Amino acid sequence: MSSPSPSARSAGARARARSRVAASLAAVALVLSACSITSSSGGPASPSVSLATVAPVTTPAPTPTPVAAFPVTLTDDEGTAVTLAAEPQKIVSLTPAVTETLFAVGAGDRVVASDDASDYPAAAKTLPHVVDFGTVDVEKIVSLDPDLVIAGGAGFTAADAITRLRSLKIPVLVVSSTTLDDIYTDLGLVGAAAGEGAAATTLVDTLRSDMTAIGTAAQAASQQAGTKPRVFYDVGYIDTTGQIYGPAKGSFLDEMLEMLGVDVITGDPVTYEVPLETLIERDPQVIILGTNAFYTPTPATVAKRTGWSTLSAVKTGDIRSVADTEITRPGPRLATGMRNLALTMYPNLVLPSVAPSDAPTASP
Amino acid sequence: MATRTVPAEIRSVGLAGRIRGRPVVIGVIGLVALAVALVAAVTIGSTQIGPTDTIGVILRRALGLDLGGHWTAATETIVWELRLPRALTAAVVGAGLAVAGATFQGIVRNPLADPYVLGTSSGAALGAALAILLPIGLTVFTFGLVNLWAFVGALAAALLVFRLGGSGGAGGMTRLLLTGYAVGSILAALLTMAMYVSGTNLRAIFSFLLGGLAGASWERLALAAPLILGACLLIGLRARSLDGLLLGDAAASHLGVDVGRERGILLVLATMATAAAVAITGLIGFVGLVVPHVVRLLVGASARRVVPISAIVGAVLLVLADLVARLLGDVPVGVVMAILGAPFFLVLLRQTRTGYEL
Repeated sequence: MSSPSPSARSAGARARARSRVAASLAAVALVLSACSITSSSGGPASPSVSLATVAPVTTPAPTPTPVAAFPVTLTDDEGTAVTLAAEPQKIVSLTPAVTETLFAVGAGDRVVASDDASDYPAAAKTLPHVVDFGTVDVEKIVSLDPDLVIAGGAGFTAADAITRLRSLKIPVLVVSSTTLDDIYTDLGLVGAAAGEGAAATTLVDTLRSDMTAIGTAAQAASQQAGTKPRVFYDVGYIDTTGQIYGPAKGSFLDEMLEMLGVDVITGDPVTYEVPLETLIERDPQVIILGTNAFYTPTPATVAKRTGWSTLSAVKTGDIRSVADTEITRPGPRLATGMRNLALTMYPNLVLPSVAPSDAPTASP
Repeated sequence: MATRTVPAEIRSVGLAGRIRGRPVVIGVIGLVALAVALVAAVTIGSTQIGPTDTIGVILRRALGLDLGGHWTAATETIVWELRLPRALTAAVVGAGLAVAGATFQGIVRNPLADPYVLGTSSGAALGAALAILLPIGLTVFTFGLVNLWAFVGALAAALLVFRLGGSGGAGGMTRLLLTGYAVGSILAALLTMAMYVSGTNLRAIFSFLLGGLAGASWERLALAAPLILGACLLIGLRARSLDGLLLGDAAASHLGVDVGRERGILLVLATMATAAAVAITGLIGFVGLVVPHVVRLLVGASARRVVPISAIVGAVLLVLADLVARLLGDVPVGVVMAILGAPFFLVLLRQTRTGYEL
């Protein structure tokens, strides 16, 4: 029995893909007890990122807080009109990116529960979990009596659970980001839903300008180098089946790499999957390993993958690692991720200072 | 029930020497256990709700009695909208699958038959997958389109098997079984293909395949329960025919059973119960295959005992298994049943001195 293709989604969250893959695989393992699918394991990824500049803390220009616009009707990413009678006081977040966003716009103290992958900022780690391995505990959510639940679209949150919560008169806002613009929109949407629209606007403006600034600097470095290397960002690999996952075509990860002035090798827009033949044909000169606690490939393990020895990057040993979470989580720390990605690509890059688009309560 | 003498080979199998009078005892014990299981399922969960509040909510919502209790709206929602319909759905589906399993086992005279033997599972799963995958499904998902398509898929698969394999005639059972297998294989292949191209919807399809009661609601229960319970009742009323069919076609004819007609009716009833159960809970295994055997080991093979007691035992088993599954974080209920139930079944098999033959 072949394993069903892991369910990486069109929206490009690495964490999303990881948790979905984990959920699917756990289910497959439970039922079939046949395939054991593991990520290639090895030593911890060597951090190859060094900050060229220290980002100073800049104080955002004080923005007058607008009068809270409640009741408000928002249209979520699935086109559902969600009406909020008053500013939500008990918010349940079902995705790590939404949790980060809520804290970043200053609504962190109103978040009462999250999913099990919400690990940032530190204050979010102590939240009770209402999603474990992809299973939504509807009863637990109801018991918290929330006035807003924010879920992930494109299958990230089980559709049945969203339906059920709505049938119980709990407002559910579904967000689903594929492109960078989607992410900016969703940050604004989540902010508006939490009654922190002004803070969200500031956050988005800062994030957008930071991304552009990093991209501009990287483009300059790229032109200076005079070449446009073929780059493969390794999102995931399954040893047993040899399935390869890369940036979905058209996803924000694809966009971010494009902004760095490289020739991006992309995967299927829906499944993230990259056929080995495509990878060999496109022949990456640089492989970037996006590593996190659940995915720890090393240049040595990559070189041993079946069929990979012919790749230029493997032959020349140009395999780099970068912390993946900030890069592939469609949240407010994306500029940090972009920065790390740029420095992985161009280690000597001098970047303009970047305002930390971070949670105010978080300590670095 | 008819008082006509049951053939000796049926009555004397199993623990025949000790069962006189015991089916009633077992039935009563089963009903008490069902009541206890239902109360436990409504009282226990990831949220702590006291039994007083639980009873208060149910009395107020079901009977309009207000005993002056005070609880939050969330508590009321959890008890009345989440737990109670879920527990009752588990009971109804457990009963339906167990009775359908007992019926199919009797008709095809095969101990490994289960409610899905005629390809209903693959048909239901393919129907559900199509409902999930087709563009229209995304928007109408909320209104139970998946459930409807699963129901239609299950019935369509069974009808196809009946048409191709025939439901009567001497020696027709082998042909029917193999037709069910072949049709099921085709449908399973299509399902695999659907899953392969499902992209973001893989999880939704997969959770249907695993089966579970998380989607239980009053509306779905109201649609499925009459079909399931009605079919179970009608099967129970035809238990004598089922007993006759167990003896083989010739013997059944001699007993005055219109073999072709009775078999056809029983197949349709069992398929109806299975399709309705699958439509609201997905594919739940184990209960339909094992419960009838457990019951036969306890009360003998007479369908007049096996059918009603299977219904009770199936209900108890699924309610308890779902409770455990819920407490473990909504793991698939089939996994819980198999892990907890199969060892019990093995012990029972070993302890039974005389087995029985189907």
